Amino acid sequence: MPIEIDEKNLKKGLLGLVVALVEIITELLEKQALLRIENESLSDEEIERLGEALADLSEALETIKADNNIEDTVESVRCGLDEVVDDVVDKLMNPARWAKEVEKHDRNRPGEISLLDS
Amino acid sequence: MTETDQARYLYLIANTEEERSLGDIGLGDRPVYTIVFQDIAAVVHASKPEPEPAKSEEQAKQWILNHNYVIDRATENFNTVLPFSFGCLARGDDEAIKRWLQKNYGLYKRELERLKNSAEYSIQIFYDPKILEKQIIETIPELKEIDQKIEIMPKGKAYIFKKKFELGLKQAVSDHLASMGREFGKLIKENSIQTIIEEKIPYVPEKYAGKKVMVSFSCLVAQENVDRLGQSLEKINKREEFAVRFTGPWAPFNFVDLKGNIEDET
Repeated sequence: MPIEIDEKNLKKGLLGLVVALVEIITELLEKQALLRIENESLSDEEIERLGEALADLSEALETIKADNNIEDTVESVRCGLDEVVDDVVDKLMNPARWAKEVEKHDRNRPGEISLLDS
Repeated sequence: MTETDQARYLYLIANTEEERSLGDIGLGDRPVYTIVFQDIAAVVHASKPEPEPAKSEEQAKQWILNHNYVIDRATENFNTVLPFSFGCLARGDDEAIKRWLQKNYGLYKRELERLKNSAEYSIQIFYDPKILEKQIIETIPELKEIDQKIEIMPKGKAYIFKKKFELGLKQAVSDHLASMGREFGKLIKENSIQTIIEEKIPYVPEKYAGKKVMVSFSCLVAQENVDRLGQSLEKINKREEFAVRFTGPWAPFNFVDLKGNIEDET
């Protein structure tokens, strides 16, 4: 069976994914810059240059999002990634919770009782 | 045996010895009645053996309301009930249901006794992010100082320090909410028999628009503790930055445990 692809949606989805990833990388760069400022390894001039570059990048991303109407797509990609990461981290940190989740699914709820075997 | 005699739609199991009708209050106004075994009963209506799909969304909604109405009425009549989810159909007649009650009598009776004189309540605590952030900035001099200095900084430096301010504020809000969450959780737990933290909140009324959900609990509360719990929640609700939605009593959907393995999650 041929798969039908809506070109407009594909473009929106792909662009949304790229912008979301660039946003995440930008945020990592910002955190790195803050760490360096706290360690006093950047001069005032370097801070200003770095800040301007990051501000320009952020502005460009906002413009791309608005021009292509992909604000919601980016938001949804980021939420999705957040959930996946949260879930993985949570299960790595709390294996007991994982076990509990499995148990919860197996629990015999009143609405799921195997009713009449007579 | 007619076709409608061949199955029973199940609403709940209750503590009662009385064979009686609850009136035409079932799905599609069908007559609802009890099928008794010793001192417990299944509350049902007679149905065709195959599940009947709703003809429209409106009808499906009405049926769900009917289902819950039967559970509410039965709770009023019989005190404690073990509710069934919407849509449980058992093939067989009244005698078959009696045999099923007989087979599981010990299990159902134990749960009915355990849940006696208690009910499920839902508690959602919301916070107003703007008010909370404002309060937190006032308590952290470092954040306050950055906030004031940003205005006079050149563009690049201002951008970086704005990020520092935002990250610091986000962390402070998160720490504050975690600490308040523990405090509120303790308070709720003190007045509840069991509590479950709900991860999904299906419906938030318009009244709470603009606020964020801090935590949501389902609680099993003994009748004599409901007022005390309500008073404690009212104290939280009076705080400018928080709002509490306290609803119930509901049938104990989240606390019926037919395997003995519900644990307190808080």
